[in-house]
Amino acid sequence: MNRKKIYPTWFAAGALLLYSVLFVLPGVIGIGYSFTDWSSYSDQLKFVGLENFKTVFSADGNYLKIMKNTLVFTLGTTVIKNILGLALAVLLTKSIRFLNFHRGVMFMPSVLSTLILGMIFTSILNPSTGLLNTFFKGIGLGGFAKPWLTSPAYAFKSVMAVDIWRGTGYIMTILIAGILSISSDYYEACSIDGASGWQKFRFITMPLLLPTLATTTVLNVIYGLKVFDMIYALTNGGPGKATTEVLYTAVFKKFGTGQYAIGTALSSVMFLFMVFIGFFMIRMMTKDEVQE
Amino acid sequence: MKLKKLAVMSLALAAALSFSGCSKEENAPQKSTAAGESTSGEAKTSAASEKGGVTLSFMASQDWIQDAEIELSKKFTQETGIKVDYQIIPSDQYVNLLMTKLNTGECTDIFGAQSGKFDIKAQINVEKNAVDLTKTSWGSQVEPLVADQLSVDGKLYGQPIQDVSSVWAIGYNKQIFKKLNLEIPKDYESFQKVCDTIKAAGITPIYECVSDGWHHTLWLPEAGVEAETAEPGIVDKWNSNQAPFKGNATLMTILDQINDMVAKGYWGEDYMSNTYADSAKNIASGKYAMTVANQGFGVEVNKVNSEIAVDDIGYFVIPLADNQTLNVNPAGPARFIFSGSKHAAEAQQYLEFLAKEENLKYLTENVGKFNKLPFNNAPSMYTDTIQDFYNRYDKKGTVIQTAVKYVNPQWSEMGANLSAMIVGEMTPEEVLASIDEVRAQQAKAAGDPDWK
Repeated sequence: MNRKKIYPTWFAAGALLLYSVLFVLPGVIGIGYSFTDWSSYSDQLKFVGLENFKTVFSADGNYLKIMKNTLVFTLGTTVIKNILGLALAVLLTKSIRFLNFHRGVMFMPSVLSTLILGMIFTSILNPSTGLLNTFFKGIGLGGFAKPWLTSPAYAFKSVMAVDIWRGTGYIMTILIAGILSISSDYYEACSIDGASGWQKFRFITMPLLLPTLATTTVLNVIYGLKVFDMIYALTNGGPGKATTEVLYTAVFKKFGTGQYAIGTALSSVMFLFMVFIGFFMIRMMTKDEVQE
Repeated sequence: MKLKKLAVMSLALAAALSFSGCSKEENAPQKSTAAGESTSGEAKTSAASEKGGVTLSFMASQDWIQDAEIELSKKFTQETGIKVDYQIIPSDQYVNLLMTKLNTGECTDIFGAQSGKFDIKAQINVEKNAVDLTKTSWGSQVEPLVADQLSVDGKLYGQPIQDVSSVWAIGYNKQIFKKLNLEIPKDYESFQKVCDTIKAAGITPIYECVSDGWHHTLWLPEAGVEAETAEPGIVDKWNSNQAPFKGNATLMTILDQINDMVAKGYWGEDYMSNTYADSAKNIASGKYAMTVANQGFGVEVNKVNSEIAVDDIGYFVIPLADNQTLNVNPAGPARFIFSGSKHAAEAQQYLEFLAKEENLKYLTENVGKFNKLPFNNAPSMYTDTIQDFYNRYDKKGTVIQTAVKYVNPQWSEMGANLSAMIVGEMTPEEVLASIDEVRAQQAKAAGDPDWK
């Protein structure tokens, strides 16, 4: 190996410095603040140890529910978006009519602003005047008309459904790129050996698509853990106490009421979640991947 | 080696470029933050010549900015060249957004906030975040009780937006009451009978809108004036932390009766998704008979349906817990000038313009719910129905959110708790315990000696 051709380590110094000053340092300072009683009500700052974390993990507050909501949202949307995205990607890499039109239609929701989508869906899902319930009642299926966003029984599922609808097209596009990069020679060889469509998918497409699936999963998980705008626009954490509250909406509310220390404690917990999940997920998913 | 030099140079250039962005503000000429500070004639002249291009940003909650004010702002622009850009925020998100903006020091030139002498100090921190308006030409015209709720240590910080003589009461359709031979209820039992009769006639008794996050909250602290009537001195005990909300018999009764109204179908089916903006429309349609409203509601209903006259909407106090005390509140939405604003002088000019007698008259005549703005020089437009309503109750009490510390800042949280109670996620005891808990947190954070 010609060592001279490899850039020296100090080339990364500038980027590392900027990254440290702009990202790592504020992050560390933020974690530091989560051990204080920082609030908008007082200019004085006192060290309170693990007090804020005790509050965050105590059974009295809603914080555990908020964390659970965030994880359920992340898991649910990631799995369903990947399954639907994969199914659509496989379908839309076949020779069918108006292929690009279909791809465009599926991708369209991802282009729209999340806040605007949220507002549109607040209107569509309105129990008395919304398009969905009016449609159900119109075709004689009034029993299916539900209080989608205003009942604790449906709100969380509705929010997830809207998010899945919005994000599937994006995942599909990444997976289409992944599928198209698989050489057609494999499929030809498979056909000669008499493999069925399912076998081609199972033994060619899936293994070679794993790196792409790892990427989409990581993207989905990080998005899910950070989700804010969709929930803010649809329910703002309601109905009730914390039916659809997730970590970011809770952090926003805590900052809004001037309880910065609890807000930073929640952010720190989220940071640890992300590092932990992200690190292990990437390791796990890239362990057995097949290199073409 | 050449490559190394090039790399070092480009890194240095990149670093210089990125840090030059940070120092830009320091080189910019310092601008005064308050009108009072720009005393030199030269500064004033240059400010006046620049005003043509000034656009004031004004952030307020939905329903706080009336069309009439927007019309007036056009006149203001014609006179001064200063434009006003209104940023109307959905009410359920307003407090969070305002506090986030204030806390990050990036607020609009003018911001709307609820007045209340305890809250503007502890929550809004007006001494730091708002401009002192004591010496303005209109400051002395603000009615004393209202000015008191906008002042900290004798300094006035805000200008009232709305008519606060108006109280939140049950606004009812007199035509429906007459048709069904109904009398004004004087306690919860007679209120239930009224609701049952209305419901039996195929009309939903009460229009309630939980989705806005603030309106359904009114029932508790407005009818809560009864607590002081039932147990004189309780407000002082709450303010000095000698008694908790939890376990208070009046408040418990109110919460139980809210649940009772929902369970009996008095609020109809769509209360979780209804919005306050549609309340006049729904009462005007005759589908609903009553709603919690203030005394301008008759005009709003009349605008939607001219067959219902302004005086066809009557009012009675919220009779939960058998309350018969008139719930007055000298606090309400107010305009504040952000202390960090670069256009504080122009913002003061706007507030001065709005407080002119002819403009107060214009607002009172053109905003249905305004009968008497809280300025000494504002005209009064009470109708007989409203005067009758105010005269009907001998006893007056200040509503809990103004009389008791650390209640108003948690309005959104109380709203979320109450909706949780309505959907069965919380019990009335838990709602009151939660209010106590948040009050304690805020009091401790504010260093209140009674909570140490």
